[in-house]
Amino acid sequence: MDKKELEKKLKGLEIPSPDGERKETILRAALKEFEERHDEVKEESKGFDVAGRLTGKREKKSFFKGGAVMMRPIYVTISLAMVAVFVAYTLHYYPGMAPIKNDFSRAPVRTEQDRVSKGPALRANRLAVADREVPPAAEPAAKPSITLGDKQIARQGGDDTKGASSGVVVAGSTGSDERLMMARTVEEAVAPPVAMGKAGEMRERDSVGERGKSKVAKSEVKSRQMGIYQSDAVSKKEQFAGYIAQAPVPAKVLTEAERSIVRNEYTGRDRFERLEQNPVKLTQEEPVSTFSIDVDTASYAFVRRSLHQGHLPQKDAVRVEELINYFDYDYAAPKSRRKPFKPTVAVYPTPWNPETKLLHIGIKGHEMEKKRRPRANLVFLLDVSGSMSSPDKLPLLKNSMKMLVNELEHEDTVAIAVYAGAAGTVLDPTKVKDKGKIVSALERLRSGGSTAGGAGIKLAYALAESNFDEKAVNRVILATDGDFNVGIRNSNELKGFVERKRKSGIYLSVLGFGQGNYNDELMQKLAQSGNGNAAYIDTLNEARKVLVEEAGGTLFTIAKDVKIQVEFNSDRVAEYRLIGYESRMLKREDFNNDRVDAGDIGAGHSVTAIYEITPVGSGSQLVDPLRYGRKPHSSKAVKGGEYAFLKIRYKLPHEDESRLITKAIGNNLEYSTIQDAPTDVRFATSVAAFGQLLKGGRYTEEFSYDDVRALAESSRGRDRFGYRSEFLSLVGLAKTASTMGDR
Amino acid sequence: MGTEELTKDINGLSDSELVERSVGGASGTFECLVNRHYMLVYRVAYKWCGIRENAEDITQEVFVKLARAIHGFKGGSAFRTWLYRITVNTAKDYLRSSARKMANEGAYIKEKEVASQCAVTDDNPVSSEELYSALGSLSPKLKEAVILVLSEGLSHKEAAGVIGCAETTVSWRLFKAKRVLIKLLAQEV
Repeated sequence: MDKKELEKKLKGLEIPSPDGERKETILRAALKEFEERHDEVKEESKGFDVAGRLTGKREKKSFFKGGAVMMRPIYVTISLAMVAVFVAYTLHYYPGMAPIKNDFSRAPVRTEQDRVSKGPALRANRLAVADREVPPAAEPAAKPSITLGDKQIARQGGDDTKGASSGVVVAGSTGSDERLMMARTVEEAVAPPVAMGKAGEMRERDSVGERGKSKVAKSEVKSRQMGIYQSDAVSKKEQFAGYIAQAPVPAKVLTEAERSIVRNEYTGRDRFERLEQNPVKLTQEEPVSTFSIDVDTASYAFVRRSLHQGHLPQKDAVRVEELINYFDYDYAAPKSRRKPFKPTVAVYPTPWNPETKLLHIGIKGHEMEKKRRPRANLVFLLDVSGSMSSPDKLPLLKNSMKMLVNELEHEDTVAIAVYAGAAGTVLDPTKVKDKGKIVSALERLRSGGSTAGGAGIKLAYALAESNFDEKAVNRVILATDGDFNVGIRNSNELKGFVERKRKSGIYLSVLGFGQGNYNDELMQKLAQSGNGNAAYIDTLNEARKVLVEEAGGTLFTIAKDVKIQVEFNSDRVAEYRLIGYESRMLKREDFNNDRVDAGDIGAGHSVTAIYEITPVGSGSQLVDPLRYGRKPHSSKAVKGGEYAFLKIRYKLPHEDESRLITKAIGNNLEYSTIQDAPTDVRFATSVAAFGQLLKGGRYTEEFSYDDVRALAESSRGRDRFGYRSEFLSLVGLAKTASTMGDR
Repeated sequence: MGTEELTKDINGLSDSELVERSVGGASGTFECLVNRHYMLVYRVAYKWCGIRENAEDITQEVFVKLARAIHGFKGGSAFRTWLYRITVNTAKDYLRSSARKMANEGAYIKEKEVASQCAVTDDNPVSSEELYSALGSLSPKLKEAVILVLSEGLSHKEAAGVIGCAETTVSWRLFKAKRVLIKLLAQEV
């Protein structure tokens, strides 16, 4: 479709005919209003700008231009006086109202409050609304005040319903939000001491005291207007306050204290692909092992979360390669961009089996210097379904995206689309130099609403395409708790769609949040199809890791479709077993087939793969050698021979033909004891052991969690960000969880 | 006064004349005004939200507001401009309220059926339904430019008057909107 066609279609946009009866109703309602207003106007000969006051949006302009009734000096004075008194009261009684805590649980409240203030107005007569909003029993103090949505009380699960009085929980997402909203409301009274007493009980919840009865239609109208304003006029200030109030709090501090007490029953519907661990292979039968690299880290975060909740993770949730790759390793970095990474290989004795050895392959992608990196054209596609309202979801998501935006440069652009709730474009592509707009748009996000089909992934890609820059990195970042109702129902279709878009140059990364609805399998598949990575964000620290420290890796691919192929020498290696990568195995012929998709390496990423190999002649083979197979050459002749030959295929970001890197793996890369092996190699090994234990320890003999801990402790290294120390604590938690027989 | 004569008289009056007389309290002229512009409001409301029931709610709200506001109408801008403005703003507010969206789910499904019945029979690859869906995905700023200019036929200048921005802003938004719409409508599953 071209522009002309589009314009033609829009010009001829069809409308169903309006309902005749409804038209009559509307006409009558309008006439009635007209007549009533006409009478009022006759009475109020003072000439209030009634029209200005009641025309919704237009009224906003005249309000500020001094045309409306509220700007009359007398009202301004009264308002200010009341605000001052009110603020004084609240500050006196609620010293703790400073924005310290995030109370995300109240995030949904605002949405409904808006709803009440506007919803009824649209259907009912204004006076009827006034009737409905007046609460039954008033406080003794005769001073009237405004109700702002008294219906919301019961929602919070027994928030503050004390008696019939309208305990209004005008809760925002932070205490400071509330204060601002209160301050802006034209308060005609402050609740007297009686109400304060009740309010005192509610103090914990940061809710403000009660409101009395609303007096007249006029004040009613004012409050409704204020209600209408909330979402607009207040937004800037409250967003700012909200932003400050929601400054990152180390989530760990909160969660561990609570969670060690509460043992959660695992009741989620989280979905993971079921895969058998890679079996032991006989070299003579299958000398070649081929797989795609994986830089996703979702599994580690998910495992961490389970352990913090006091139970072992589902076995299928444990992908050992992702646990290993969670950590950064100091492998030698490549020198030039043309050869974007360098393999580091080591062979050393297996800690859990003295008869076997480990073949360790490490690859480090080069870092991207800030000034060299391309522009980013990003579209955030965010799930705002009702299920996203818990604190570990949408609020965390918002903070995470803000952190990412902080890492971007002025010329990068960000657009925001939402799905599964409100749907559509929230922010058109905006340059990061207008960061305020982007942050405001993020701040305004609310979860809730039902699925409004249509918009979703297609919209996100359309936004990316409309701003496409072939010199830039064009990427959609999808964030969800598991709802993939992005407009394409079938997951295979969805995957196909993402793949086609990838070919046209728009990539996809997936961020998972929350628990109970997590769809790990689909996340992984989509990320791989989209030349992106999948990460699971369970805490703000993790958000920082993925979106700040590793922003380069998440956003900028330095090598795509990276495949590894290892051919083992049957004269030296009798059996081998690849640890992890079960979901990444490739057919032997896929290695050279450039049309077969594989994982991508982002700037600064490191990738590790470990094989456990049984040397020929060790006597500890698991698989009986073939009776009729070729006997290996005598050990003397092959002592100097290679263990294996490593091949790596990759494509540079803008190319479609793959390139090859090879490396022979011989004795020169061998360490006689594990203590001699480099620190990073030892640490990676401890993580590999840990992952295998979590999966049942089928191949790890007697190796225990204590053994894992000892090995990890001795190889902690500098641990700049504390991730390795955190790992140690996870090992402890796993040990506890396993001894309690807790699954 | 013979009502028939009055009716003849009324229909010949311009908008501003009608408004003037309505301000004075003549409900007959007000009624005429409402009738005359009913489709305009309903049309814009429908294009904005794509669901008839909701469009009618918006229409009602607009005319009720009109009834209140007309007494104070200063006549600074053309009546139509003013009416477009109220309609667009009311539609925006309406969509923002999430309660509406929850109620929508049922209505949306029904509406889809209606829309597909409305679909033109000539073989156009893009149905009415798809167009509405695409339109609905746009941000409010882009949407209003598209509806006012490309669908309602206002000039960039007139649309700028309704929205309250510069004419060049309208042009720029249209440019962006067309780009996104074309991409969106070009997607195949």
